[in-house]
Amino acid sequence: MSSLRIEDACKYFGGLKAVDGINMTVPAGRITGLIGPNGAGKSTVVNMISGVYSLTRGEVYLDEQQLTRLHVDEVARCGIARTFQNIRLLPEESVLDNVVIGYFRKQRSGVMSSLMGLPAALAETRRLREQAWELLGRFGIQKYADYEAGSLPYGHQRRVEMARSIAAAPRIVMLDEPVAGMNEVESAEMAEIFEDLARSGMGLLLIEHNVAFVSRLCSQVYVLDSGRMIAEGPPEAVTRDPKVIEAYIGGKADAA
Amino acid sequence: MMSFYYSYQPLIDFFLIAVGLGYSQQLALRAGVFSIATAGFSALGAYATAILVTRYGVPVPAAILVSAVVGMAVSYVLSVPLARLRGAFQAIATLAFVQVVIALLLYFESFTGGAIGISGIPRVMNTGWLLLAVLVTIYVIWSINRTSVGRVFNALRQDDSVAASLGVPIKSYYALAFVLSGLIGAVFGALRSLYVFNIEPVDFGFHAMVASLTVVVLGGRNTLLGPIAGALIMAILPELARPLAENRGILNGVILILVITFLPNGVGDELVYWLRRRLRRAPKTMSKRKEGADVVAAD
Repeated sequence: MSSLRIEDACKYFGGLKAVDGINMTVPAGRITGLIGPNGAGKSTVVNMISGVYSLTRGEVYLDEQQLTRLHVDEVARCGIARTFQNIRLLPEESVLDNVVIGYFRKQRSGVMSSLMGLPAALAETRRLREQAWELLGRFGIQKYADYEAGSLPYGHQRRVEMARSIAAAPRIVMLDEPVAGMNEVESAEMAEIFEDLARSGMGLLLIEHNVAFVSRLCSQVYVLDSGRMIAEGPPEAVTRDPKVIEAYIGGKADAA
Repeated sequence: MMSFYYSYQPLIDFFLIAVGLGYSQQLALRAGVFSIATAGFSALGAYATAILVTRYGVPVPAAILVSAVVGMAVSYVLSVPLARLRGAFQAIATLAFVQVVIALLLYFESFTGGAIGISGIPRVMNTGWLLLAVLVTIYVIWSINRTSVGRVFNALRQDDSVAASLGVPIKSYYALAFVLSGLIGAVFGALRSLYVFNIEPVDFGFHAMVASLTVVVLGGRNTLLGPIAGALIMAILPELARPLAENRGILNGVILILVITFLPNGVGDELVYWLRRRLRRAPKTMSKRKEGADVVAAD
């Protein structure tokens, strides 16, 4: 079973300690939660793991392999996928093609066979389109397959992005606020998909605001506040932790 | 039909060359590389072939091959600094490249003929060969469009950090797009030199750069039809506007402004998109709507 580990990871922007010495493990086959109030540094963590930000200090490992100094595309090819907090689809492409590009890592036909239009490359395209079509079904958005991705409502765009991120069967997927803006029923649909993925052996990292949603799904929850890890453990314990309660509502109580 | 061909043959041949150069220009833009280097590549290709054929008696096919290799090599080298730039800065860098090529052509007079250029190039090209070259180019780009490389190019144009997050080595693919652009540009430059008897630096200057860019802006950036439509407009317009010959520049400008304002994707692309929308509405969604209904029912 593979797992993603980050050890003593720091990211400073000048004097701002956006993330300050955190340790975290995202095991395969489990759903791990990363919660924390606005501006806690959650998305920074995702960007550090995926190689968008270089770490000021600390290391990132996938099993024994060090990812710390790899580029974004190399991290992705190691089998770590992500979504973006502010949804980033290819706006001019159809929903289906947005998912097809997600299979890039698993493609077998080379550049030359693509340029020459060899049967193998064309057959691969057909096969990937079929797989993408089925994946859209799993996310309940098959009927939008032909639509321009940019024209879809927000919640559906999230689903497209998630489908794209898991298309190539990554070992670890980091989902940044996957159910933001979804109602109860829709969140429940997503929860079901996440549990399926974990059962299939994928490791999931959910970055969320919604504590109830995370508590229901995750085996382990990390709580980040002002760049520091203030709590970790099973959700029942973490949500009762006084430091966590203070981080979430303490500030508000003070203000009131 | 034949009489039409004979009276318009030069027009048709130049149209085919413009289509080829248009594809060179389009390929770069389509992958998100804001290059206007096509004129420079075609100059390199044209001079390489002209010099080899007239000075050293190299057989024409071998000379064209050398032009192709030169185009690919130079574009590959150029792609390295270009990968560090974005948007308008790429345009400026490639503009500088074209100017440097022209300056070198003028400077190495003993080799390139300076401002007078090279004359006495055998005219071995004809409509058939040019058509073949265009068809091969179309086949390659059609293949790209239907396979992985095309998907990656589209992704690079729209959001290259998304492409990277999916594992695409983006610098390599930017280089690939640029090298293909250089290859096509150099080959059509070579073919052009084998058609016009003599070439001089001025043929590849600012005017040539604007011409191949105009083909893509008028025709379209993304579809196969784009450069064909653009080159067609550029070929027919001067014929229709013969009485206005003095003011042809103004006419070109007005057409360009009208197209950019009302058909921002270009005439060819807009036509293809419109057709696709029509086809999509008709039979395909019928079957999908049924499946969509099942999803709703399952909810």
